[in-house]
Amino acid sequence: MSDEYENKTGYQAQSSETISSGSGGGSRTASDIDYVRPAEVTDQDLYHGHSFITKWVFCQDAKVIGVQYFLLATFTGVIGLILSWLMRLQLGFPGAAGFMTAEHYYQFVTMHGMIMVVYFLTALFLGGFGNYLIPLMVGARDMVFPYLNMVSFWSFFVAVGVLLASFFVPGGPTGAGWTLYPPQTILEGTPGSGWGILLMCISLILFVAGFTMGGLNYLITVLQARTRGMTLMRMPLTVWGIFTATVLAMLAFPALLVGALMMTLDNVLGTSFFMPTIIQAGEILEYSGGSPILFQHLFWFFGHPEVYIVALPAFGIVSDLISVHSRKNIFGYRMMVWAIVGIGGLSFFVWAHHMYVSGMNPWFGFFFATTTLIIAIPTAMKVYNWIITLWRGNIRLNVVMLWCLGFIVTFVNGGITGIFLGNVSVDVPLSDTYFVVAHFHMVMGIAPLMVIMGAVYHWFPLVAGRFLNETLGKWHFWLTFLGAYSIYFPMHYLGFIGVPRRYFEMYDSPYMTSAVGMNEFISMAAFIVGAAQFILIFNIIKTLKTGKPAGSNPWKANSLEWLTPSVPPEHGNWGDKLPVVHRWPYDFNVPGAKEDFITQTTPPSDVVGTEVEKT
Amino acid sequence: MSDPKIDGLELKPGFKGMADDTGSDQTMFKGVHWGKAMMWIFLLSDTFIFSCFLISYMKGRGSTLVDWPNASEVFGLHVFGVEVPLLLIAIMTFVLITSSGTMALAVKYGYEKNRKMCGWLILATAVGGLIFVGMQAFEWSKLISEGVRPWENPFGAPQFGSFFFMITGFHGTHVSIGVIFLFIYAYKTFAGHYDDRKRGWFTSMKGDYVEIEILGLYWHFVDLVWVFIFAFFYLW
Amino acid sequence: MHPGIIFFLVILGSILFHIFTPWYWTDIASNWGGMDDTITLTFWIGGGVFIAVCLFMIYCVFKFSYKEDRKAEYKPEDKKLEKILTWATTIGVAALLAPGLIIWNQYVTVPKNALEIDVMAWQWGWQYRLPGEDGKLGTTQVININDDNPFGINLDDPYGQDDVLIQSDLINLETNQPVKILLRSVDVLHNWYVPQFRAKMDAVPGIVTYYWFEPNKIGEYEVLCAEYCGIGHYAMRGGVEVQSSIDYKKWLSEQETFKELIAKQQKIEFENKKIVKNNNFLLNKEIYKEE
Repeated sequence: MSDEYENKTGYQAQSSETISSGSGGGSRTASDIDYVRPAEVTDQDLYHGHSFITKWVFCQDAKVIGVQYFLLATFTGVIGLILSWLMRLQLGFPGAAGFMTAEHYYQFVTMHGMIMVVYFLTALFLGGFGNYLIPLMVGARDMVFPYLNMVSFWSFFVAVGVLLASFFVPGGPTGAGWTLYPPQTILEGTPGSGWGILLMCISLILFVAGFTMGGLNYLITVLQARTRGMTLMRMPLTVWGIFTATVLAMLAFPALLVGALMMTLDNVLGTSFFMPTIIQAGEILEYSGGSPILFQHLFWFFGHPEVYIVALPAFGIVSDLISVHSRKNIFGYRMMVWAIVGIGGLSFFVWAHHMYVSGMNPWFGFFFATTTLIIAIPTAMKVYNWIITLWRGNIRLNVVMLWCLGFIVTFVNGGITGIFLGNVSVDVPLSDTYFVVAHFHMVMGIAPLMVIMGAVYHWFPLVAGRFLNETLGKWHFWLTFLGAYSIYFPMHYLGFIGVPRRYFEMYDSPYMTSAVGMNEFISMAAFIVGAAQFILIFNIIKTLKTGKPAGSNPWKANSLEWLTPSVPPEHGNWGDKLPVVHRWPYDFNVPGAKEDFITQTTPPSDVVGTEVEKT
Repeated sequence: MSDPKIDGLELKPGFKGMADDTGSDQTMFKGVHWGKAMMWIFLLSDTFIFSCFLISYMKGRGSTLVDWPNASEVFGLHVFGVEVPLLLIAIMTFVLITSSGTMALAVKYGYEKNRKMCGWLILATAVGGLIFVGMQAFEWSKLISEGVRPWENPFGAPQFGSFFFMITGFHGTHVSIGVIFLFIYAYKTFAGHYDDRKRGWFTSMKGDYVEIEILGLYWHFVDLVWVFIFAFFYLW
Repeated sequence: MHPGIIFFLVILGSILFHIFTPWYWTDIASNWGGMDDTITLTFWIGGGVFIAVCLFMIYCVFKFSYKEDRKAEYKPEDKKLEKILTWATTIGVAALLAPGLIIWNQYVTVPKNALEIDVMAWQWGWQYRLPGEDGKLGTTQVININDDNPFGINLDDPYGQDDVLIQSDLINLETNQPVKILLRSVDVLHNWYVPQFRAKMDAVPGIVTYYWFEPNKIGEYEVLCAEYCGIGHYAMRGGVEVQSSIDYKKWLSEQETFKELIAKQQKIEFENKKIVKNNNFLLNKEIYKEE
C-alpha cells in the first residue's frame, strides 16, 4: 500500500491525435476506428493482503468476498434444505418423525422460508455472484469501496450467526411464518414469540445494514467505475440484472428494516404499533389501537421487490448463459435491458397483490391486479427472447445449457400460475392454499436455483480454473429438474382441492384425505431432490484438485470476466492494463468473422470485413 | 467548483447532456467522486427509511382509539411563569439549520484549501449538532418525567409516545453519528490530511476535501429530515 | 437419450396429468362459479402459452444442437417481431384481467338483501352471531367480551338485544340466501374459508372485514382457517350446514338470543359457563400437545 500505484494510471489512448469519433467515412486508419476515449479517473489503489488473514478471511478482494458470500449462503441454504426435509417428512408421513410437534413444524416452516429467500437466494445472487462478477464484467479492478465490501460480508456473517443462534434460545426460533405477521408473531400461541422473534428481527436488521454496504458498492461500481469503452448498453445482462436488483434492494429493504424495528419495539417495550386490543385466553392484553395491516404493507413493500431481487439477477445470468452456449447473440438486447428496468420499476407498485384477502380496503384490488398483470408483459418478453435466442443458434447441450432449459420450463410454469394469483378474483379461492406454495417455489425457488446451478457449472472454470465433472453434472441436473418438477407441478392441484398452506396435519377432511397419496409422493421426491444437491458438493470437492484444467476462456465467451490475463483472475483482475471495450458481449457467429465469437476487447480493426450490427 | 473537464467528451447542459452522460462509457455522473455518488444513493435509501417511519406514523395516528394529544400543550415550555408553546423546538430547529449553514461554509473553505477556516466551521457544525442532541435529551427527559413512555401516554393515545421516541430517537442517532464524524473530520482537517492527501484509516483512498462535501451532504439530509419530523410531530 | 425427449415427456406428462388428475376442484356450492370460469380461462390461455413456449424450446434443442460447421444466425434485433409479441401478450393479459376485475367488482359489492353474519374468531375457534327480528346486528367491542357477554355486544345498543348467538363452531345457512360475512378477531389474524364456497377473507383484530357469497347447494361443509394463526392453526376447523328454507327457519328458532342468554345466566351458576369455555380452549390445546 504505497505509491507504487502512481505510475499505473489508465493507459494512454492508442491514438494521440484528437479525433471526433464517428465523423466521416472515407479512409480511416486502424487507430481511428479503434479510438476509445481516454480514462476519466486514475486507476484504483488496492490494498493487497499479505497474511493469510488479510488474504482469505478479512479480505478486501471482491472475488474472495464473493466466494465467502457464496459459501456462507450455501451453508445456510443446506440448513434450509434439511428443514424442508423435516417438513416434508411430517406432511407426507405424519408422525414418522417422533419429535415433530406442531411447534417444531411451524418453526421449521418459518426458518426454511426466511433462510431460503433472504439468507440464501438474496445473499447468493447479490453477495456471491454480484461481488465476483460485477468488477470483472465491467472491467474494474475491484469494487469501489473494498473495505466497506469486507464489512458487508462480515455483517452478513454476524446476521447468519444471530439467526442460527435463535435455534438455541429458550422457546426456539420464531414460528410465525416467514411473513412474520403480527399480532401472532409476538403473542403466546406462536412458538418463539419471545426470544426467537427478537433474534430474527435483529438478524434481519444486521442483514439489511450489511447489504446496504455491499449494495452501495455494486451500484457505484457499475455507475462510476466501468472501464474505457464500457457503456451501460454494452454491459452483459448479468450486470444489468444484479444492478437493477440492487437498486430494488436499496429501496425495498428500508421498509423491512422499519417493520422489523417497530415489531421489536412492540415485542420488547410493549408499544402498540401493530397491536390492537387483544383478548387472549380470556385476558385482555396491554395493547390497543395498533394496525396489523400496516405491518403487512411494510412487509410486502419489501417482500414483493424482494421476489425480483432474486429473479432479476437470475434473468440476467440466464440470458448470458443461453447466449454463450447457443453461440448466438441474445435476441433483443435492448428489449431485455428495458424489461429488467421496467420490471424493477413496476415491482414497487404491485405489493398489495399479496394482500387481496388481507382485509385491506378491497378497492385496492383493482389497482394492484392491473399493475400485477402489466408486469407480466415485460416478463413474457424476456421469455420470448430467450427461446428466440435458441432459434437458429448452435446449441451446446452441455450441463450449463440443461440448467438454462430447466429454468425456462420451470419459470414459464411458475410465471403462468402467477397470472392466476395476480388476477384478483382468481386469487380469492387460491390464496393461502398449496397453489400459492407451488407457485412461488416454482417461480422463485426452483427457477432461480436452476440459474444458480447453471452459473456454478459455467463460472466454476473461471473461479477454480478447472471444469466440473460433466457426468455428475448431468445426474445432478436430471434428478433436480425432474424431482423438483414432480414436487411442485402436482402441488398446484392440492391448492385446487382447497388444502390450506401451513397445516401441520390434514386430519380427515374428505377432500384432503384424497391427497394423502400425493403428499407421500411429493415428500419422496423432495428427499431425492435434496439429496441430489450433495452431488454438486461432491463434484466441487472432487474437481477442485483433479478436474480437467480449463485454461483461458474455455467456453469461448465474449465478456470481460473470461479475458483476464491469468485464470483464475488475481487481485486487481487485469494486471497492468485495464481492458478497453469495443463492442457488446454478444458478438457470436458474426457473418464474415473467422471465429464464432468476437470478444469485447477485440478492436474493430482486427475484425474488418465483418458485419457487426451493434457496437 | 467548476464543471469537470472530461477528455474526449463534450459535456452538454440539460436533459440532452444527461442522456449523453448516461450513454457514455466509464462513468454516468461525470467527474463525480465515488464517495459522493455513494452518499447520494445511501441518502436515497435512508429517505425510504424515514418515509416508511413517517407514513407508518400517519397511519398509526389515524387508527388510534384514543385522541392524539395536542402538540402545543405537550411540547409547551414554562418560561418565567409563561406557557410558551414550541419554544424549545423552535430553538432546536434554529440551531440545526444554522449548523447546516456553517457546514456549507466549511465545504466552501475546504475547496478553497483554507484549512483553518474549514476546520473551525466543521467544529462549529459539530457543536451545533451537540447542542441539538442535548436539547433533544432535555425534551425526552421532560416528557418522561411527565409520564410519557413508549407504551403509555397520560395525554392521549399511547402511540404518541411510541412514534415520538422511535422517530426522534432514530433521527437523533443520525445526528449523533454525524457529530462523531464531524469531530473526526475537524481533526483530520486541522491535521492537514486533506492537504497531504493522506490515506484514510480503513480505506486505501487518498484524502481529499471532497470528503467534507460528502459529510456535508449527510448533514444537510439529516437537517432536511428534521424539518419533516418537526412538521409532522409539532405542527400537525 | 436426447435431452429434448425428456423435456418433451415432461410437457406431455403435465398435460396428461391435468387431464386425468383425480385431484381437482371440490364441487362448487356458491354463486362464485365465475371464479372457476376465470380460472379455466386462465388455464387455457396460460397453459397454451406454457405448452407453446416449451414445445418451441424443445424444437430448437432438436433442430439446432451443436454442430462444428453450423453457423448460428446473427440477428441482434427484430423490431417487428418484438412488437407483434408485445401486443399479442398485452391482448392476452387484458383478456385475463377483464373478467378478473368484473368478478372482483361483484365480490366487493354486497347485494342489499344479504343477511349479515358476525363471525368471531379466536385462537382457535369460531362462533357466530345472527341479527334478530330487527334485522340488524348490535355493535360490539372487544373489551366488552367476558363470560356473560361472549360476543362483546354493547349492552346499551338496542339492536344487540335480540341478536341470535351461536356459541359453537357450526352454523347453518339458508340456501339461495346471500350472506355477508362480517369477520372479527379478538386476537390474531384468521380467515373463515370454506373451499366449496371459493370465497375467503382475513379476520383482522381491531377492524371488521367482510365478504359475501350465496350458498346454493344443500349439504355440510367444513370451515378451515386459511390464515396462519399460531400452533393450533391446522386444528381450527368449523362447520357449515346449508339447509332449505324450512329447515333453516326451524333451526334458527331453536337458537338463543342475547336477551335470553342474559336471563338464563342470571339463573345458572356463574362457574358452569366458565367450564364450557375453558373446555373449548383446552380441547384445542390438547390437540397439539398430543403430538
